[in-house]
Amino acid sequence: METLKIAIFSWESLYSDRVGGLASAATYMAQTLAKRHEVHFFTRGDKDFNLFNVQYHVWRPYGRNIIEYCNDLSHGLVARFRDFDNPPFDIIHFNDWHVIEAMHLLKERNTVFSFHSTEYGRNGGYFGDWWEFKDISGKEWYGALIAKRVTAVSKTLCNEIVNLYNVPQWKTDVIPNGVVPEQFDVAIDPGDIKRRYGIHPFTPLILYIGRMAYQKGPDLFIDALPAIRAHRDDVRAICAGTGGMLQHLQNSSYGLPVQFTGFISDSEYIRLLNASDIVVIPSRNEPFGIVLLEAWSARKGVVASAVGGLSENISHLEDGVLVEPSPQGIAWGVNEIINNPDMISSIGRKGRKKTDRLFHWKKISEQMVEVYKKAMQ
Amino acid sequence: MPDICLAFELHQPYRLNRYFSAQDKKLQTDPISIYLDDHNEKILRKVAEKCYEPATRLMLDLLDKDFKAAFSISGTLVEQLESWRPDVLSLLKEVATHKNSEFLAQTYYHSIAGIFKDKTEFINQVKEHQSLISNTFGVKPEIFENTEFTFSNDLVDSIKEMGFKACYTEGVDRILGWRSPDYLYSCKGLPLIMRNYKLSDDVAFRFTNKDWDQYPLTADKFSEWVSQSSGECVHLFIDYETIGEHCWKETGIFDFFRHLPDELMRRNVKPITPTEALRYSVRDDLDIPDFISWADAEKDISAWLENSMQRSAFRAVEKARYFSCNSRIWRYLQTSDHFYYMASKFGSCGDVHVYFSHQSAFEAFSTYMDIISDFEDRCIKTAKYPKSTRILRNVSREEAFYFSSEGGPTGHMAFSLDEFLEMVTVAPDDSIEYHIKRLDFSTWLDKVIGDEKLALELQKAKNRHDIIRIVEKRRNELWKRLK
Repeated sequence: METLKIAIFSWESLYSDRVGGLASAATYMAQTLAKRHEVHFFTRGDKDFNLFNVQYHVWRPYGRNIIEYCNDLSHGLVARFRDFDNPPFDIIHFNDWHVIEAMHLLKERNTVFSFHSTEYGRNGGYFGDWWEFKDISGKEWYGALIAKRVTAVSKTLCNEIVNLYNVPQWKTDVIPNGVVPEQFDVAIDPGDIKRRYGIHPFTPLILYIGRMAYQKGPDLFIDALPAIRAHRDDVRAICAGTGGMLQHLQNSSYGLPVQFTGFISDSEYIRLLNASDIVVIPSRNEPFGIVLLEAWSARKGVVASAVGGLSENISHLEDGVLVEPSPQGIAWGVNEIINNPDMISSIGRKGRKKTDRLFHWKKISEQMVEVYKKAMQ
Repeated sequence: MPDICLAFELHQPYRLNRYFSAQDKKLQTDPISIYLDDHNEKILRKVAEKCYEPATRLMLDLLDKDFKAAFSISGTLVEQLESWRPDVLSLLKEVATHKNSEFLAQTYYHSIAGIFKDKTEFINQVKEHQSLISNTFGVKPEIFENTEFTFSNDLVDSIKEMGFKACYTEGVDRILGWRSPDYLYSCKGLPLIMRNYKLSDDVAFRFTNKDWDQYPLTADKFSEWVSQSSGECVHLFIDYETIGEHCWKETGIFDFFRHLPDELMRRNVKPITPTEALRYSVRDDLDIPDFISWADAEKDISAWLENSMQRSAFRAVEKARYFSCNSRIWRYLQTSDHFYYMASKFGSCGDVHVYFSHQSAFEAFSTYMDIISDFEDRCIKTAKYPKSTRILRNVSREEAFYFSSEGGPTGHMAFSLDEFLEMVTVAPDDSIEYHIKRLDFSTWLDKVIGDEKLALELQKAKNRHDIIRIVEKRRNELWKRLK
């Protein structure tokens, strides 16, 4: 296979400035591509470095607001890009709206733009009337317009882009997120962790992990708890994460077998994930749902809302339980498996196998190379 | 009518000494005696009593009556029979030289070596088995069967290279699709004999299951099912211990086999040997990109290589080739059973059984790592580059690095410098920061791994990417010297 010279633009990476999920998605994609191709990664930071065969070139931007900041970043990164453009890059891959200005400057080249979410989706599926919302949405529209190819992490997100920004279907591809299962698949005694939370090792523990935000549906899970307890009276739940709804949820869960941890570290997340018996993902809306891949990595039984990427990736009762995003739906899903340890173990293990089959970065990067080839035609 | 080809797996591992403690090591000059469990003899004698002896006598009777059967016996079992029940070994010799029997080839140590990237070790073990079988039983196997039927495209070249005429594997539904297992197939040109797992498991797993709607299974009923196959030959492959050990004498298992030949004959189902089954023509070439096996419902290699402990142990033993000064010990450690003991199905709603088996899985893992680390320790003294070798060795459970944070361990563990590098790339940010602040990494590298130079350099590391860069450079340097 021919070796491509690839430039990746992203405002965050795992090893320099890291904000959220985009950092791991873009970094692992680059690292995996670098096993076969020449990969340069343009991102924020203070000093260039090489790691796992990826050459990181950085720029420290300045701006009075996020839009200005990202414009400065884009111009700075393109200046850095020019230093390495001989021989010219075969493909230039941009991630999310922050670097669309950079794509504008290089719009004659072979460009790919990846959507990990949209401003509309991040805003909970509503159109905002403030200027940043309009500016960012405008940039997303423009990015999709000028890119030679556009990718989205799920069919659902892809449809959203097609509808929001009038992107022609032929220009789009679905390239899902990947995961590094070894981050979440560890040797830990679930009993030890449960005990720390005052839970007996043999008591079934259901975990919710994520922002306490309407979009993620933690309230649906809390409202499902009475019906779950009626079915299995020793059940315990932990809701990990923080967000605007936390106070309200704590108030409304009085008397229910649930603990709220507030913000937790990545380490504690891994411990809780491995200690739990069932992971619920009650989202009302989910472009991809990375928690699913993380739970599968740890071979956990998952009960998830049949929305977005979750419903695309889970095979119902095969490697997870898909439910209606409502308290009744979630209670039904949990009750369906909670007294059947073999079933929980089996769907968890099948989930892990699916992860190994479809969501390893190696597979995902191979699909991305196909997109690159289309962009180069 | 189809033919029937019956074959048996005979294997006992050398279980590892669960009370092994590295403190004893200085007292003993022969490491094998402290690595292997005293129970091995007890278990062997028990299984010989219940199964190997009576089952083999039964088989001799059946073979005399012109029934045919094939046997695949591991080298570790031959060794144990030789030590503790030579009389049973003599019975098996009678079987081997009987005109109606056939002996099959496998890896001497019933090992996972076939899964190693480099197939040299796999080939060596098969050759060692071949010479054992020919020296002990005076026969030369021509058909191969890999450990627990693990097989993929990956093995074809090696198996052909060693001159085998065919290979056994599992008739996995996802590979066969609409096809019946009761025909001959091939993989990249190597003839494949597919086990009919449904009929095999009717005997091996369901014979004693009172909840089964076909219970009790009689020779009459079973022969009827076999005769209904529309294929050319039904291949049964059964764990020998089914006869008398998994199913005790009282279950009627001996009577089942005693009556099986007559019942089959009555239905015109003819017994043949695996070699005779090769006279049928190959129906289709199968593509087997990922390893398959006869284990569990999954029928892949997850029984031995699923959780992080199994993967860690596998990495350790695969890498131990560079340290080994005694290939016998290294090979005993490759026996698949050790990995099976580390299997776990963690955390399913506090199921008591699951919970306890997890505990013992961790113990099995600990023992394994302690022994492999002790073994490498002993070998390093005679290594060509003792200093670099020492830095790259596997360490014991007590010496391993356990990534942690304020709240306790994260579950990421490193038993060697290589594994440390791997774990540094995947351990969570806050854990890395925690250890950097406390200088844990450089302390471990200095005091445990014994690389002062690296430890000193690592004190300067401010973040994950510094650590990876520094450790990767040093690691590659060291390996270059060794390889």
